[in-house]
Order: sequence, then structure tokens, then C-alpha cells
Amino acid sequence: MIRAAARNRELVALLPVAVLVTIGFAAVFAQSEDRLSDLSLSYGLYFLAICLLAHIFIRVRLPDADPFLFPLMALLTAIGLIMIYRLDSELARDLARDQANWFVVGLAFFAAVITFLRDYSALERYKYTIALVGIALLLAPRLPLIGEQVNGAWLGVRIGPIGFQPAELAKIAIIVFLAGYLWETRELLIVKARRILGLTLPPLKYLGPLLLVWGVSMFMLVFIRDLGSSLMFFAAFLALLYVATGRLSFVVVGVAMFFLGAWFFYNTVGHVTDRVDIWLDPWSDPGGAGYQVLQSMFAQADGGLFGAGFAQSLFVIPGTNDALVPAAHTDLIYTMIVSETGLAGGIAVISIYLLFAARGFKTAILAEDGFSKLLATGLTAVFAFQAFVIIGGVTRVIPLTGVTLPLVSYGGSSIVANFILLALLLLVSDRARRRAREVAP
Amino acid sequence: MDIQPIAVALKFAFLAILFLYLFWIARSARKDLFVARSSSGHDRTIGASPGGNREAWLVVEEGGGLAPGTRFDLFGGATLGRSSDAEISFSDGYASGIHARVHPRGERFFVEDMSSTNGTLLNGAPVFGETELADGSRIRIGDTTFRFETGGRGS
Repeated sequence: MIRAAARNRELVALLPVAVLVTIGFAAVFAQSEDRLSDLSLSYGLYFLAICLLAHIFIRVRLPDADPFLFPLMALLTAIGLIMIYRLDSELARDLARDQANWFVVGLAFFAAVITFLRDYSALERYKYTIALVGIALLLAPRLPLIGEQVNGAWLGVRIGPIGFQPAELAKIAIIVFLAGYLWETRELLIVKARRILGLTLPPLKYLGPLLLVWGVSMFMLVFIRDLGSSLMFFAAFLALLYVATGRLSFVVVGVAMFFLGAWFFYNTVGHVTDRVDIWLDPWSDPGGAGYQVLQSMFAQADGGLFGAGFAQSLFVIPGTNDALVPAAHTDLIYTMIVSETGLAGGIAVISIYLLFAARGFKTAILAEDGFSKLLATGLTAVFAFQAFVIIGGVTRVIPLTGVTLPLVSYGGSSIVANFILLALLLLVSDRARRRAREVAP
Repeated sequence: MDIQPIAVALKFAFLAILFLYLFWIARSARKDLFVARSSSGHDRTIGASPGGNREAWLVVEEGGGLAPGTRFDLFGGATLGRSSDAEISFSDGYASGIHARVHPRGERFFVEDMSSTNGTLLNGAPVFGETELADGSRIRIGDTTFRFETGGRGS
């Protein structure tokens, strides 16, 4: 009864998503009829069909899993597709079609993970192997032949025609490792803690992992030049450390360490200095380094309360074919959403991430064993922090760094990685909720 | 670029449906939270033997990787320890595999240390041999504390 109810709720929750896709595509189409084919109206149906297939798969394999996680992810993908389709209309490109294909590929990976990883506790046993894979993935862009530099950051790997950003997959590997490791050592971290200068510090012997993760994120800051991922990893790590030990002082020490490192590199490494200076004062170079941040702010202000409407914001420099807002389909996609649907649209997008995080943490609360709890917490935290890092970047709350807005931004690796993340979260959720249901009177 | 009235209407329809949808999800997710809490296994039945003993529970106060307030039923007694073979299994760096046991004799309950490495404390005093439990007694193993409760909960 309960399991059917959960799955039915998921099914019902998918229908409005399909309606929203249809409305969004229709609005873009109505505005730029001359430039787009009328195929657009059937996209909603295709989208619904793909989601239904995924829903049936979940119904068969994970009947007790959380009913809201998948629809929320589908909704984010849908909003991304609409915005990318809208950018296509003016850039004369086919990014939306690619993105839709990546959505299908992402769901294939999602299904594969659920099929081949019935017992996810295997992840705990292989945590050191997984950690090595994660670090190797992070290093891959710096290797000769396959490494690729994008906008001054070493983010991409290209093997033949296929390029991907390994940091997206590395984030999952590192969370799995941290969940396993912290679960194993948490008691030692707490019990052997010493009080020094009024701060409770973990024992030096077990500080190893903390220093390692700190080192990795500082390393990324300098050598991979991926400031966004660096911030996101470290924040997720501190969240995990706090949940595992319940010691706020560890988090305080961690944050202090991060700011010390960040301050040091701000003063010594050129590109970090540039990023921070542009954040503090974009007008110092409005036509160059500050251009992206300034255009982002203007475009969002232009959106007002309810936005200019789909495909109606000023996006292309009049008389040319060049985009006014750089990287609108990746880093600045949130800017485009706010520009076209206003503050209301921006609030809605942030609410989707909040609801997703709430469901993820709920999964962690329901999970019975510590590894599952930490895994669900870590996956949710890294997903939410990624959204924070990029939304904070484009709204100038923190320095703008290039991470994708999960599932909304254009990008295959991001979609695939986030659907693998969803698969793991649903595996934890299914086991936790099945237990809860069986124990229930 | 002319603004199409239909596009404006569609934009507001989009925002309206989006917000109604999110509101609905938030509401039903909240409901789900309550349902799940009352059935999330905070009443674990361990060693149940409906033999007419007094009702008694061990309630987690802190530590052990268990949620404070988690209740374990003690109908037929229970073993406590870090091992997964223990009937009340918890994680604590100082606990032994099978650390202690609680068992009933008639109407009374006793705690007994199972030759553990670090010992068991009952209300702060080390336990030697079988020691009787009173309502509200605190059993401490390593960093984990359980409270013994007995009597008429819900009856």
C-alpha cells in the first residue's frame, strides 16, 4: 500500500513537469517562430515518455525509494532544456538537442548503477580504491595529450571526439570515500580529541584525512585552477565531518584552514587574485575581466520581478550574432533564467534545490546505518553546495567560478554525474524506507 | 522583436504552475515527514517473548551512533555490544563485541557485564556480577548511555 502510494505520487509529480516543458517550449517557439521548427510542441511528450520509462524502472527496481527526488531532478533538467532551447534560437545551434540526448544517456547510467550496484555497501569496502580513482580523475586534465584547458582552468579531458569534465565524477568518488572513512574513524576522532586553547581538536593521528582533503582542495585551487570545485568539495567535506562527529569546533578549524589557504593563494597565485579582485570591483576592468560579472548583474536586473519573458530578454548584441552574456548556456544559465522569468523564476529554481536538499537529508535521517547516513548527507551536500557556488557566483555573493548549475547548465558530464548521484541517493532511500515501512505497525 | 501576447500569457502560466507545483511538493513532503517519523523504527522490538513479564525498555540517551530517544524493548532480555551479533548493536570505540547483557528474572531486571575490556557503569558505579536495575537507571558503556525504563507506557 505505502510503496504503491509513494510510486504513484512520483508518477503524479512527473505530469506537471511535462506540462511545464510544453509551456516553456511553446513560449520560446511563439516568440521566435521564424527561426524555429514547430517540432517544439512535441518535446513535452517526448520528455514525458522518457521520464515515464525511468519511473517504471524505479517502480520495478527501487519501489520504496523517495518519491520526490526524481521529479525534482527532472524539473531541473526541464528548465535547463527550455533555456538552452531559447539560446539556440538566437545562436543558431543545436545545443538543446545535445542536452536532451545527454539526459537520456544520464538516465542510462542511472539505470546501470541501480542494476549493477544492488548492495551499495560494497562502496564502503572499496573506499580506498574509489578515492584513488577520484584523485586520478581530478589529475587527468593536467596530463599531456588528453588534458584540455578551458577559460584558464584545467577542467576537461578529451579522448578523440569525446570530451568530459572529470571533476564532476570525482565529486561522487570523493564523497563515497569520505563517507566510508569518516564512518570508520568517527569515534576515534571524537574520543581522542584534545582541547587546545579552548578549541577541541581531533587527534593528530586521525587528522590525516582532514589534511588530505584540505590539500586536495588547495591543490585544485592552484594546479587545476578550479576554484568552484575546490570550494564545493571542502564545504561538503566539512558538512560530512560535522554530521559524523557532531563537533562544531572541527568545522571552525576547517573553515579557518580554508580561509588561511585561500588568503595565501590569493596573495601568491595570479589567477586567484584576478578572480577575487574582479568580484570585489568588477568596474576596474568593465570591458575585459569584469565583463562577465557585470553582464550577469545587468541581465538579472533587467529581468525585474517577473522577467522579460521567454526568448525576450536582450541576449544578442543588436546587429551582430554575438552573445551579450558570455557562457549563457553553462556558467551563466541562472542569469538567463532570472532575466527571462524574473525574481520569481530565480526563487523557484533555488526552491527546487532546497526541496531536493530537504529530501536528501530526510533520506539520511531515515537511513539506519552510519555509512548510508553519511553517504546520503555527502551526496546531498555536494549537490546543494554546487548550486550555491554558481548561483552565488553569478549574483556576486562569492567570486564567480566555473562550475555548472547542476542539471540546468549545458554539459554532458554534469548531467551524467548528477544522475549517478541520484541513483546512489535512491539506493540509500529505497533501503531506508523499506525498513521503515516493515517496522511500521 | 515584437512581444507576442501569447508568449506573455505562457510565461505567467509557466511561473504559476511552477510555484503551485513546488508548493504541492513542499506540502506533501512535509506530510511524508510526519508519517515516516512515526514509523521510522524508533520502537525496535528485540528478543520479544510475550511471556507476561513487566514491560521494560532501554532508551538511548546519547552516543553509540543511535538517535537519542531510540527505544529497545526488553521482553526477553538483550545483549549489548559493538558486534552485529549483539541484540542491541551500537558503535562505540570503547565497547566490546558483546559488552553486557540485560535480562529479566520474574518481575525484576538485571544488568551483567560480559567480561568487557572497559567495563560497564550503572549510575556511575562499575557493575560487578548481576546488578538490579531500577526505573531510570543509567547504563554507560564507553561513551554511550542508555536509560532503563519500566512500567505503564501507553497502558
